[in-house]
Amino acid sequence: MLNDGNANSDGGGNGRKLACEQNNDKISEVDSVFDRRRFLQVAGTGVAATSLAGCTGSTKSGEASQQLQGPIKIGVLAPEPGNNPIGASIANSAKLAAKQLNDGGGVLGANVEVSVKDTKEDPATGQRKYQELTVGQQVDLTTGVFTSEVMLNLMSSIAQQRTLHLNTGAASPETSRKVAQDYERFKYYFRTGPVNSHYLGQNMVDFATANFESMGWDSVAVLAEDYTWTEPISEALNGALGEAGIDVPVNKRYASGTENFSPIYDEVANAGVDAAYVVMAHTGTSAVVQWAKQQRPFGFGGIHVPMQLPSYYGSVNGACRYAVTQNSATPNSEITKKTVPYANAYQKAYGKYPVYTGYITFDAVKMYAKAVKQAGSTESDQVVPELENMSYTGTTAEALEYYGKDHRYPHDVKYGKKHAWPVWLQWRKSGESGNQEVIWPENLATEQYQSPPWVN
Amino acid sequence: MISALYALVAIGFTLIFGVGGVLNLAHGATLTIGAFTAYYATSAMGLGIWLGTLAALVVAGLFSAVLYLGMIRWVQDEPIMVMILTLVASIAIEQYFVVTVGTQPKAIPSLLPGQLTVAGLTVQTNQALTFVLSWLLIGGLLLAVNYTQTGKAILATSMSTKGAALVGIESDRMYLYTWLLAGALAGIAGVFLGSYRTASYTMGRGPLVLSFSIVVLGGIGSIRGSVLGAYLIGFLEVFVVSYVDSSLSGLASLVVLVVVLLVKPEGLFGRELAEA
Repeated sequence: MLNDGNANSDGGGNGRKLACEQNNDKISEVDSVFDRRRFLQVAGTGVAATSLAGCTGSTKSGEASQQLQGPIKIGVLAPEPGNNPIGASIANSAKLAAKQLNDGGGVLGANVEVSVKDTKEDPATGQRKYQELTVGQQVDLTTGVFTSEVMLNLMSSIAQQRTLHLNTGAASPETSRKVAQDYERFKYYFRTGPVNSHYLGQNMVDFATANFESMGWDSVAVLAEDYTWTEPISEALNGALGEAGIDVPVNKRYASGTENFSPIYDEVANAGVDAAYVVMAHTGTSAVVQWAKQQRPFGFGGIHVPMQLPSYYGSVNGACRYAVTQNSATPNSEITKKTVPYANAYQKAYGKYPVYTGYITFDAVKMYAKAVKQAGSTESDQVVPELENMSYTGTTAEALEYYGKDHRYPHDVKYGKKHAWPVWLQWRKSGESGNQEVIWPENLATEQYQSPPWVN
Repeated sequence: MISALYALVAIGFTLIFGVGGVLNLAHGATLTIGAFTAYYATSAMGLGIWLGTLAALVVAGLFSAVLYLGMIRWVQDEPIMVMILTLVASIAIEQYFVVTVGTQPKAIPSLLPGQLTVAGLTVQTNQALTFVLSWLLIGGLLLAVNYTQTGKAILATSMSTKGAALVGIESDRMYLYTWLLAGALAGIAGVFLGSYRTASYTMGRGPLVLSFSIVVLGGIGSIRGSVLGAYLIGFLEVFVVSYVDSSLSGLASLVVLVVVLLVKPEGLFGRELAEA
């Protein structure tokens, strides 16, 4: 049974969330003071018009401005924000975005507060923390979540609480499929990034089509770790690479938890391919270390989540050198004019560069703030249409937009050149450490792909 | 090639069982400790990998000795208690590494980088060195057990605690030596394994299961049996993974374990010279 929105219904009742008939982004100090006075006046005379109270300060020009009372509370769900770079990037980026918003006067005069909870990558823990945030702390927005299994487990709670959620880490398309199946129930769920697994696979095909010829990768062995998140990618890759004129003599989904890659690499080497085209997260480090140490006679690249970490080079003693991975953004790539300033601000505040979940979470919080401003309210039902119709320039895309309700993946971030369009990078040695050099798309490329010296 | 390392992994396990009759489920965790000691020594302290290996030997050996002195000594006649305690210790160690290092695997430098070409076959120098060192250690251990006084005393204890006590051997001290030795060997095995795969908090689980299969196949408590068992299991694993399917990695040894336990529970060599 549905809980009919009692989690949010207090918003209007206590006067914290005020709906407005007209929107206005520009609020001057004077307007703010004026609005508050008018509000008190109206409230004081006992006129029960809370939903309009904030908008009564209409100016001579006919524009309306509004104020929110009390802070805007954002609940962040991150895996081990203490020592996992993925979780730390989510938590810190939400805080950084909130700080920037607050320094700029808040959102409609209200301060933004961030509360971080650890999901421990465990569905049950994630569920408990979600309840603490929504039922306990009555947050206006939840964001974060990295593990698809955790995200999937939260979907019915999100529908029940009717609290907006912006997913900034989990890639499984199963979540948006739920929105497609029952829009009214699940419409509070959005994925700001990364692009879902289906489009991750599509992006691998797009990269292959555009670059394999110049990279000398005429034939590749596809190696995908056997976890849920890689299934849609395998589906997208199957056949599509062949159609693009690439020979795929080995196409393997290897067992989860694989630690010894020697037999797999023997098979790849025997097939005489130019490269291993990989889809790896959990098992990626063992794979790349063994590839480098054994100096296997083929290139190595694809989606390799650990290699996306800016500090990865040191933790594997440079084994990732010459390996290629897809990423949402890198600290040096000017995907938009906001990308590098964000990465630098993050570095200044926390001492290191963020990983992709950081860029996305930063965008999610800023995008939410804009939607609240436009809606003049934090009520989820009013913010949802604003997000659906918004085109926002973030750190990860020139035009961050969500697919509409009739699309196959409603509320998922749009994939495409102007939308979310991942970058591809190669690890190179730079002095005693390594650099993530972008090799594609061309407008962001800092280097061209270089074959490892041990590959002929 | 990998079989020599498997033998090294299993030998400590079999020593402890053979001498003390203790099933040490923390054996895999000792391996993990060795690997991470080398990781810390090389990455955080900037030492060379050889010093790191030495540190791994010492730390893993000491851990093993402390485990014996602090826990096992008091309960070694109660197999269930021993199993529970060693299992708990091993889980605690895994959790410790999850908290301090995280779940991502870490790379340990190779002992010798580069590649060798022997008779047309190209192998990693590191792997070849691991092979040689594992054999040296196993050979050294066999010699030490058979020809030194302490070694003979350990052997005597493994045959009969009462008999050993009669001729003035302190069995407690022999047990301690055994744990120390087994720990040190596991520590080195951990570094070897970590240096050509990676070090991760779960890295000890596979070797523990392998040790089980190897010592059961070879005959529990027999060093000779362990070496042979390691070679058989090693061959079987490489064969299955290369010619059948790579996703079956680890399954072959488990099948052997079950089959041997059902068909020939005493293993190939039985328990040598044990008390009746």
